[in-house]
Amino acid sequence: MPYEFDEILETIKMTEIEHFDIRTVTMGISLRDCADRSLEVTKQKIYDKILKYGKNHVKLAQEVEAKYGVSIANKRISITPVSIPFDAFHLEEFVEIAKALDKAAGEIGIDYIAGYSALVQKGFTNGERELIKSIPFALSETKRVCASVNVGTTKAGINIDAINMMADVIKSTAEKTKDNDSIGCAKLVVFCNVPEDNPFVAGAFHGISEPEIVLNVGISGPGVVLDAIREAGSVDMQQLAEVIKKTIFKITRAGELMGREVAKKHGIPFGIVDISLAPTPAPGDSIGDILKAMGVEDVGAPGTTAALAMLNDSVKKAGLMASSSVGGMSGAFIPVSEDQGMIDAVERGNLSLEKLEAMTAVCSVGLDMIAIPGDTPATTIGGIIADECAIGMINNKTTAVRIIPAYGKTIGDSVDYGGLLGKAPILSVRNLSSENFMMRGGKIPAPTVSLSN
Amino acid sequence: MKLKEDELRRLTLMAIEELGDKASPELVKNIVTSTVNKLSGEVEKLPVSEDKTSGRIILTAFGLNATGIVASITSALSEYGCDIQDLTQKLMGDFFTMIMVVDITDSDHDLRQVQEKMNEISGKLGIKVFLQHEDLFRQMHRI
Repeated sequence: MPYEFDEILETIKMTEIEHFDIRTVTMGISLRDCADRSLEVTKQKIYDKILKYGKNHVKLAQEVEAKYGVSIANKRISITPVSIPFDAFHLEEFVEIAKALDKAAGEIGIDYIAGYSALVQKGFTNGERELIKSIPFALSETKRVCASVNVGTTKAGINIDAINMMADVIKSTAEKTKDNDSIGCAKLVVFCNVPEDNPFVAGAFHGISEPEIVLNVGISGPGVVLDAIREAGSVDMQQLAEVIKKTIFKITRAGELMGREVAKKHGIPFGIVDISLAPTPAPGDSIGDILKAMGVEDVGAPGTTAALAMLNDSVKKAGLMASSSVGGMSGAFIPVSEDQGMIDAVERGNLSLEKLEAMTAVCSVGLDMIAIPGDTPATTIGGIIADECAIGMINNKTTAVRIIPAYGKTIGDSVDYGGLLGKAPILSVRNLSSENFMMRGGKIPAPTVSLSN
Repeated sequence: MKLKEDELRRLTLMAIEELGDKASPELVKNIVTSTVNKLSGEVEKLPVSEDKTSGRIILTAFGLNATGIVASITSALSEYGCDIQDLTQKLMGDFFTMIMVVDITDSDHDLRQVQEKMNEISGKLGIKVFLQHEDLFRQMHRI
């Protein structure tokens, strides 16, 4: 037998019992050649291009799933940040473009298309300003379009004017989608140091230095890591890190194999593997549970940040060894609503916004899928975003905020989207004003770490 | 599909050139219209590889022990022209696990069809059968 009995059973256990899946195969499509003076022509060009490349996306991914017996949870598409090729358009026209994207995504049978985005860390073009203003309309009038805006980088500093604008956009999106628990905000991410090849929606887009078309893969598998840690028992930290690395190594290898296969079937280049432990609301598929299995009583206990730091770093190390094309965010995601372990910790009152913020300094992204009272002032939301960006800017890492000021809801309520987006209890926000600070406007200058040349 | 003005102009000039002396305003108009209609008909397709899955696959079967499990699986495989290259099995109490390395290169059927056949058998016998391409195991367990 070329493989040991146990090796084969281990793989079967991962795919059948521990929810190991390829979280997403995301096709990145450049829309830079789709601009035209006429809106109608532009829309048609966008639609045609997405259909041309994306038509067989779902079918080919399903073929690869069958071949390896590993499921691919999501098949998605990312596009050039819409503000770049279509900079000459205005608010209403951007909304029309969003609708064209939504229609194309529906036609090829995918659930989300991401890249309704702008990169404004250093300032706005006229088109970017219009696009940002159009976000609440675009997200409330479409189902599948996801938006993101990058407001800071280590090199450029933080654009506070953009954060203030985004805080208003988030509030307005929450209000426009109030009938569905402000679901628009679940499709909107504010970034600092955004990666240009991230395959994970909602923050995905097809970066400006990316090729015409590319296929990126996002791998997950918190359940696999959780079981490995439980099986390891009471070992010391180094041994625990070793257990995590070995497990991640294997799932990364499997993910890269499958991603390359899908790309080959399409006849397009393979981009990167993003090994991110991304939880789902399914029992056992939780980062919160991993942290508890590592030894803290509940998420939020002292030691949680250290445990998460080790987990995140072990994931990165194993990924680097397993694949030569690691990219995206690669680490551990700590969304609240999508992770039963985190939801429980918030409901028990063990996990506060401040502790979550500390955790984001060592996780791979940031404050994700957090519901807060609907009457939180825009300047307070701005302050939360600014804090998160500061962590990203100074530590030279990606940070993001996907926050839901749930319209008409307050402490004790929750928002419930079902499916992968899950359910989030409303988290309390400190009742202190950030207004005078945020209303200064302007930009926070780039930090000393930016001067690396 | 909408064409830009300069694209249309180029198309018209090409038609005139191609027609040479025969070119008349009506003829050129007809040709250009039908070409544009043809282009709008369907979105351009990318070549998609239709390769059949071939090579070695790993078959894993689990379940409560019963008579005829190995026989049903192996006879179905031989009927499909699959070559069994290795076979190992273990019994733990009443629980049965079997792993096979099967080469389907010379089979008339591809992996999906073999999988469908095995699903049929596993349904009948009340066991679980998984078929996965060998590459997965090589990637995960061999450096």
